[in-house]
Amino acid sequence: MDIKILDSHLREHLQTNAKPTDIARVLSLTSASIERVEKFGASTDFVYSVEITTNRPDMVSVRGIAREAATVLPQFGFSAKLLPLDLKVPKLETKDKLTIDIKNDPKLVYRICAVIMEVEMKDSPKYIKERLEAAGIRSLNNIIDVTNYIMLEMGHPSHVFDYDRLHTKRLIIRESKKGEKVVTLDKKEHTLLGGDIIADNGKGEIIDLLGVMGTLNSVVTNNTKRILFFLDNNDPWKIRKTSMGLAIRTEAAALNEKGVDAELAYNALLRGVEIYKKDANAKVASDIIDIYPKKNKPTTIKTTGKKISQSIGVEVPVKKSVEILKSLGFDVKGAGDVLYATPPTWREKDVTIEEDLVEEVARVYGYHNIPSKLPTFDRATYYHLDKSQFYWEQKIKNALRDWGFTEVYTYSLVAKNLLTNPLEKVVTLRNPLDEEHVYLRTGLSTSLAAVLQENKIMENVCIFELANVYKKQVKVLPKEILTLGILIKGKMQNGETVNFYHAKGIVEEVAVILGVKNLKFYEHLENKTGAYVNIGDEELGEITIFDNIDGKGVIVELNFDLLRTHANAKKTYTPLPKYPPVVEDITIVVEPNIKTGDIIDTIKKQSSLVNEVILSGTYQNSRTFHILYLDKNKNLTTEDVAKIREKITKILSEKFSAVVK
Amino acid sequence: MEENLLQIKNDALSLIFETEDPKSLEELKLQFLGRSGRLTLAFKEIAGLPLEKRAEIGKLGNEIKKVIEDAIADRAMELKKSAQKKQKNNLDITNPGIKPPLGHLHLVTQAIEEITSIFEKIGITRVRYPEVEWDYYAFTALNFPANHPARDDWETFFTTDNTDSKKGQIVLTPHTSNGQVREMEKAVEESKKTKMPINIRMLNIAKCYRRQSDVSHTQMFHQFEGLVVGKNISISHLKGVLEYFVKSYFGEKREFRIRPYHFQFTEPSFEIDVTCGVCLGKGCKLCKAGWLEMGGAGMVHPNVLNYGKIDPTIYTGFAFGWGVERVLMMKEGIEIDDLRLLYSNKLEFLEQF
Repeated sequence: MDIKILDSHLREHLQTNAKPTDIARVLSLTSASIERVEKFGASTDFVYSVEITTNRPDMVSVRGIAREAATVLPQFGFSAKLLPLDLKVPKLETKDKLTIDIKNDPKLVYRICAVIMEVEMKDSPKYIKERLEAAGIRSLNNIIDVTNYIMLEMGHPSHVFDYDRLHTKRLIIRESKKGEKVVTLDKKEHTLLGGDIIADNGKGEIIDLLGVMGTLNSVVTNNTKRILFFLDNNDPWKIRKTSMGLAIRTEAAALNEKGVDAELAYNALLRGVEIYKKDANAKVASDIIDIYPKKNKPTTIKTTGKKISQSIGVEVPVKKSVEILKSLGFDVKGAGDVLYATPPTWREKDVTIEEDLVEEVARVYGYHNIPSKLPTFDRATYYHLDKSQFYWEQKIKNALRDWGFTEVYTYSLVAKNLLTNPLEKVVTLRNPLDEEHVYLRTGLSTSLAAVLQENKIMENVCIFELANVYKKQVKVLPKEILTLGILIKGKMQNGETVNFYHAKGIVEEVAVILGVKNLKFYEHLENKTGAYVNIGDEELGEITIFDNIDGKGVIVELNFDLLRTHANAKKTYTPLPKYPPVVEDITIVVEPNIKTGDIIDTIKKQSSLVNEVILSGTYQNSRTFHILYLDKNKNLTTEDVAKIREKITKILSEKFSAVVK
Repeated sequence: MEENLLQIKNDALSLIFETEDPKSLEELKLQFLGRSGRLTLAFKEIAGLPLEKRAEIGKLGNEIKKVIEDAIADRAMELKKSAQKKQKNNLDITNPGIKPPLGHLHLVTQAIEEITSIFEKIGITRVRYPEVEWDYYAFTALNFPANHPARDDWETFFTTDNTDSKKGQIVLTPHTSNGQVREMEKAVEESKKTKMPINIRMLNIAKCYRRQSDVSHTQMFHQFEGLVVGKNISISHLKGVLEYFVKSYFGEKREFRIRPYHFQFTEPSFEIDVTCGVCLGKGCKLCKAGWLEMGGAGMVHPNVLNYGKIDPTIYTGFAFGWGVERVLMMKEGIEIDDLRLLYSNKLEFLEQF
């Protein structure tokens, strides 16, 4: 929570020799971050912008900050003292005593402090206007401004009703029913969600949305003469639900949902009455109402000096710990190394365990006073390169980069039109933020294609992504499959127009880098052109050729988790050949439906001396194969090669009706 | 005869000097010194001279031959030099280079690699846990009360998948802290096997998701989470690791400070600030009085250790979880004004890095 307070206001509660910048620095290091200290307008005053964490609602006020500053400033060598409040309990000041009948539900509201007053409505005095303005609150009139001023100064939200508009003179605190309607003071109608804390006037009419915002039918108007000044301390979770559910984000709601110290309510009421008397000529017209069914009792926490020192990592004398805790309002008892500490009411929700005490001591002792040490190495888990998934990921990313690809990061959450699987197989968000990000993707291809849309101007695109896709499962978490997606549109970096064989080549080289063997390619059976890729019998992914509005190109999608499980970092040495190989080209003419792969396999089978067969060129129906013959044990003679060649020629013409040129 | 030889010499030398290219120089060499070259033919004539003249004229012929040979060699050298000079004049070093194909890794990948290697050097190594996670690991086991705001529909993404009676709903993890209790469970298993004390040195880097999108937030982002658990792990150790990271990643000119903060799963909790890379702490438009918030950290809450089946009276630990995008943008020179640019995948942007 952020609040802004004036230095002059703070100094009404805090006596110190620290300058505003000192106060900002010390509070930032020990309690709450002062994001800025700035001059307030043309005056000599300063505004502090304070960010307070959710566990410290006790600091969301001038008084709360003054109390904290009075404790921490002396640790940094400044004098500081919290000035006492001098509040008097007011007596009845009117002839007739007015009443209001409040029926509380202690499960919903922990404390109600209230009083009825006769008032005169006018503008607020300058100091209230200025302080509210600095805090970013608009000044309305002297009646409403006090409620905001009290919250700013004392840290407890408050509300005023027009007493004369409370026709039944009854407030029944209850939970709302779903569908009940209210019009809040900003003239907006809300349909309640049910379970909101409301005040019913006994006739079923809602006259306040407690802790969140007043309702139009009971708030003060320009004609208000008598007010019910009302402080309610509520169940924080219920306030949060109402405020978020109805989207009414008032300062009061933001504070109430953090849990406000109920002890504050009474003093805040008295302080309010004091200001109304001064600035609105108020006359107290009722008894002070204080409904406080159950006081909270802070828990006493046991700790030891040893625990505190060990947790901080530096020796802090027990005496010092006790001194710090006492300065923060804790009640501390104990003997020797053992301490029993009871937090003050304003910290009871926040400080409940030993570690909380460690924090209190450590932060006031000063985090900057704690030395930096590195944890020692006792032992380490054995590291195996080939078992490290991150090693392989990095290796493949670097390879793709070196081949000229640019890595993209697309959202794992996609819109319906990017889905590649039927809805029932897709993990779906119950509460998406927008329509573009609703489903967890099951493939990368559509996301990569969407990148083309973002880059229409680019004729040639070479991109890749390594990211999870998600497979919905029954009763267990969705399966997250790390997937490698590659997309090429137009020309490759070497200037060639991309075709299926480039994609296949990339898949093969990816496998080589990962030491994966046994890749198999199968033709697409559907209408798509491209191929499925397997490692042995396991499905690895596919290559798809596209030719559409996005352009012409290929998309590759591979299951990287599968690749990784087959990855192998083992290097094997094969002795270099002692005898030179014989190389020759055979050109054959065959029907186009004969697969090159089958021809190569057949050639290889003819002799163990055929070491390598590569398709080196194609022209119309003829294909040229580059054959390398090698004998490890001797020099091959022309006759040796001729014999094998004859065998090859024979089988090729028999098996594939090939004509050898 | 003598005149003839001198004439050959003069002709040869003047032609050699007039020659402008190596090819015609070769031709001249043939013309004079070749098998039927003028000097060669003259030598044949010398053979027919009277004996007393032969020695004298022969000597002169040889001298002339040497002169011509030298002149050709010198001219050849000169021509070669001037050719090189000419070639050099044709070289325009301001023309663009012909580059090998080189792509680009995404900024986030580059940051993750750097962060990983920084922590690896002090023995904190990378792991990976689910992005789509049980509520249990994302919240319950991290000490989030049932009604904590982070569990609201307004802050965290929930899936429509069925709820598990023990582990709750399936959510998109809003932080990498979901790895904490998972790592503890793993460490407890290991410790049972090895009979060695628990010793966690985890770095969990993953995608996270939150329901917000503006210039400084994207629905999907990355965090890196450190978790160190052992005997006598203290705030002092957290500060040591933090200092090591800040100085390594941002450079030694950058300072840091620890402020008290509040998180459910750590106690005490801290917010870490690093001095602004632009003004180095003096205060400027881009920072808050010289400081930039880096992220949260703290000592592991005893309840979280309990959820991880680790005894908080024996072991303590610290944890931190920082945004990869956040630290990236805090680096000098990378002040990106809209974080969403990182995931818009404009190639013009990605190719800058």
